[in-house]
Amino acid sequence: MTKWYRENAPITADKLADELMRLKRGSVTRRHFLGVTGLGLATAVLARQPGLFNSAAFADDLGTQMSIATWPNYHDPATFEAFTAATGVAVEVNVFGSNEEMLAKLQAGGTGWDLFVPTNYTISTYVKLGLIDELDMSKLPNYDASTENPRFTNEGIVDGKTYAVPKNWGTTGIAVNSDKIKAPVTSWKEFFDVAMTEADGRAMVHDYQLTTIGNALVSLGYSFNSVKPDELAKAEELLIKVKPHLYAINSDYQPSMRATDAWMTMCWTNDGAQLNRDMPEIQFVLGKDGGEIWSDFYAIPKSAANKAAGYALLNYLMTPENAVKEHIANGAPTTDSRVLKLLPAEVTSNKIVYPDEAALTPLEFGAAVTLTDPGRAELMARFKSA
Amino acid sequence: MTSASTNDIEFRSVAKRYGSVTAVSDINLAVPKGAFVALLGPSGCGKTTCLRMIGGFEQPSEGTVHIGGQPMNGVPAYRRPVNMVFQQYALFPHLDVEQNVAYGLKQMRPRIAAAEIARRAQEALEMVRLGGFGKRRIHEMSGGQQQRVALARAIVNKPKVLLLDEPLAALDKKLRTAMQIELQSLQRELGITFVLVTHDQEEALSMSDLVCVMSTGRIVQVGPPQEIYDRPASLFVADFVGKTNRIAATIDAGTNSIRLANGVGLAKPASANGTLGAATVALRPEAISLVRDGAATLQGTVTHRIFLGSSVEYSIDVDGLGDFLVTADRRSLDESDLAEPGERIGLSFDPNALHVFPA
Amino acid sequence: MQAAMNTKRNLVTAALVAPAAAWLCVFLVLPFIAMLVFAFGERAPEGGYQAAFTFAQFANLPTRAAAFWNTLVLAPAGALLCLLVAYPVAYYLAVKANPRYRLILVSLVVVPFWTSLLVRTYAWMYILGSRGVPNLLAMIGIEDVRMLNTPGAVLLGIVYGYLPLMIMPIYVSLEKLDRRLLEASADLGARPVSTFFGVTLPLSLPGVTTGVALVTILLLGEYLIPQLLGGGKVFFIGNALVDLFLQSRNWPFGSAIAVTLVAVVVVVLMVAMRIAWKVAGTRQVDLV
Repeated sequence: MTKWYRENAPITADKLADELMRLKRGSVTRRHFLGVTGLGLATAVLARQPGLFNSAAFADDLGTQMSIATWPNYHDPATFEAFTAATGVAVEVNVFGSNEEMLAKLQAGGTGWDLFVPTNYTISTYVKLGLIDELDMSKLPNYDASTENPRFTNEGIVDGKTYAVPKNWGTTGIAVNSDKIKAPVTSWKEFFDVAMTEADGRAMVHDYQLTTIGNALVSLGYSFNSVKPDELAKAEELLIKVKPHLYAINSDYQPSMRATDAWMTMCWTNDGAQLNRDMPEIQFVLGKDGGEIWSDFYAIPKSAANKAAGYALLNYLMTPENAVKEHIANGAPTTDSRVLKLLPAEVTSNKIVYPDEAALTPLEFGAAVTLTDPGRAELMARFKSA
Repeated sequence: MTSASTNDIEFRSVAKRYGSVTAVSDINLAVPKGAFVALLGPSGCGKTTCLRMIGGFEQPSEGTVHIGGQPMNGVPAYRRPVNMVFQQYALFPHLDVEQNVAYGLKQMRPRIAAAEIARRAQEALEMVRLGGFGKRRIHEMSGGQQQRVALARAIVNKPKVLLLDEPLAALDKKLRTAMQIELQSLQRELGITFVLVTHDQEEALSMSDLVCVMSTGRIVQVGPPQEIYDRPASLFVADFVGKTNRIAATIDAGTNSIRLANGVGLAKPASANGTLGAATVALRPEAISLVRDGAATLQGTVTHRIFLGSSVEYSIDVDGLGDFLVTADRRSLDESDLAEPGERIGLSFDPNALHVFPA
Repeated sequence: MQAAMNTKRNLVTAALVAPAAAWLCVFLVLPFIAMLVFAFGERAPEGGYQAAFTFAQFANLPTRAAAFWNTLVLAPAGALLCLLVAYPVAYYLAVKANPRYRLILVSLVVVPFWTSLLVRTYAWMYILGSRGVPNLLAMIGIEDVRMLNTPGAVLLGIVYGYLPLMIMPIYVSLEKLDRRLLEASADLGARPVSTFFGVTLPLSLPGVTTGVALVTILLLGEYLIPQLLGGGKVFFIGNALVDLFLQSRNWPFGSAIAVTLVAVVVVVLMVAMRIAWKVAGTRQVDLV
């Protein structure tokens, strides 16, 4: 699968080249093509050569190499270059498609990651499986718990111990091409109704159990996180009914939306912001009946080979001046009020990125149980194979 | 030219060209019904091209080929009333012996009943003495057996003409002789025309009743085997059909004699006809008798002796004429009948055995 | 003497086979044994494997019946469609094409292999997507045609992706075909169509069988093309395996499915060889 990202892939059409470069860098979509690549093991070494000088503070214990596992197009590449320049540590970036994949890799062992970016609802499972360490906060002087929104930091604290600190948050909403769809889509119920009527053959759902099953549950008035067999059965009934009308089951929805092959999709905040920026007719709405709110965290695997470098990079990323660049690059909202102050007004006033608090009220965080619940996994499989 | 009704095959002014290369030209040949004709010549002489034009695998560039009186130009192979025994047989490896033989019958339209096909295939196999081999695989058969399967396959459709492309070339000598006899009797039994392509003059002479000698794309002589051998129309034929000694000679106008290059004068042979001046004379090795007689026409020294059993071949350095080949039949078991290398010996022959060609 | 020679021959054989055998042992046999062990185990509560001895995973196979069915229909159907397209091409290359250009034409068949199938399949997404063929159709007044994410697109992708694998073995067997056999057939009265079905086709059957077996086996594990060109709406064994190992992390069930798939492949191969032997009438059938 690394071929996918190979620099010199022989492509001629400009369009295709653009798209592939996009994919090479790590797509603008998040958690995408998990189904395509199976393993999103894309590896981009952003800075291989050791720095010409070593910062005195870190010189002895940081080594020359470290590795991070994260999501596609989730960082400003300049951040890592600057880190390498400052410390002499080259950063290898591994890109993943789903939390399940990350967990599968870490469970199998031998990843070599020194830092990774799990989503909120997975952290308690990592702790339970003993795959991550409690963070040594003394090594993160630039992190300030008091400026963080506790709504997001809580998910990184298990039994009073901090295992992870937040990177950014976001939502899972609906992207709708208003040129093509005239019916109002303001809730997940309407999403599924329109998918079977006006958007017949043009709607997409994620190839991801958490959001696809969760939003189906929400549309029926149940919890996003339900694992109750009778509620799941109803959700399954809905999904199987809607399936013949779908354009695709795929988490890589940006290309289809941009090509107007698809007119409506489940969509993450940062993708919604980018689609709307380039094609204003594509609007991003949050379900008024509910849906997901999420945050991504930084954590250090127990198996990390170069923990010192992991902490150094994490501390570097927690510096507001560095973090703000990350936010401008990936378009997701920040959890840190220090960063919020540094962000330009056109970012903070974007209602897609920073919606009104009222719109967030019905949203739920993903629950840990959904990650490991065999019932949901099997439901997803039955839906896809139906 | 014989009328169409009695000829099975006729070439009328046929030529075949591949691009700028002329394979055969000016081919005129009439093969009477029921004949066994041999197309004889060295490789590249065009004999196979002629055979393939009968079979329908090649179309003439000029002229027409007639089969049974019908012009065949443009008629594809599968519509021609001829069948072929291919060089190396071209048997179908994926079919067993019986299926190979039945292949042609299965192509017949209207269709023939399966039982009838089986009966006729069996009959053909018995004709080539392979009655019990029907279920064998082709690769389980010996070369000679494959030969016969190819024959059975080719005759089962009862063709008007059977074409044989070097059919015996892949067999060893003993088997070849046996098959020659078998082919002859098969031809008599079937009463159809056989056209045999061969580069082996012995095969051509022994099996056919009409030999067509070809050279560089043209027919050089057509006739019964004996005539071809005894009265070759050209030095090429004399050379190609059997062995021959060449002697440079001069025929004087006025005198009734021929003078060999070493000055020996002989009575002018009947074959000389009107030839005058410089000529080449051909003399068959078996037309010469060796005599221990100083008064013989030519004298020479034995250089080599090859003992062949029924006969003996001598290489003799003839005074003033160079190397001669002489084949002498053994008349007795007497050792003294054999000339020894180094021995001086006389060569005697009937001047009428000389074939005279203009030089 | 005889025994000594046999010993020597055995040693030579061993030396020739050893590297491949070692490779297969480490990278095929051992993983397969691990899979067999997993297949009789249980999924740990947080995913992965925990030791047990149970047939539960195999008992659970019917829940993937649709995936098996899709795959077992798609694989041979895709292979047959591929065959229908590949055979005339191979026939043209081997029999009809001007020998002077043959090598160039054959290499044109192989050239696409220099690019990753993923990239080529991705290119089809653009050709079949709204900005591609449907856009051209719209220009001539045929509006709103959807080509991408249809079963037809998947079939097209499969035929396109696997065509060279089908063409090459057929081409090789047709090229070896003795032209005199075709002449012999015509000579015996067979029309061109009869010659094709009576001689050409049966004798190219080893190539056909190799191609069909090769493509079928690869298709049994296919998940990329349905995912990209089918929009992931049709679920194949490949997709099932990816989901089980990477999403729900149910290694034992994934192993059970993988083991079952291997068993199916073996059966398919054996049937294919049986057919090839029967029709070609020879044991000299090379498969894969």
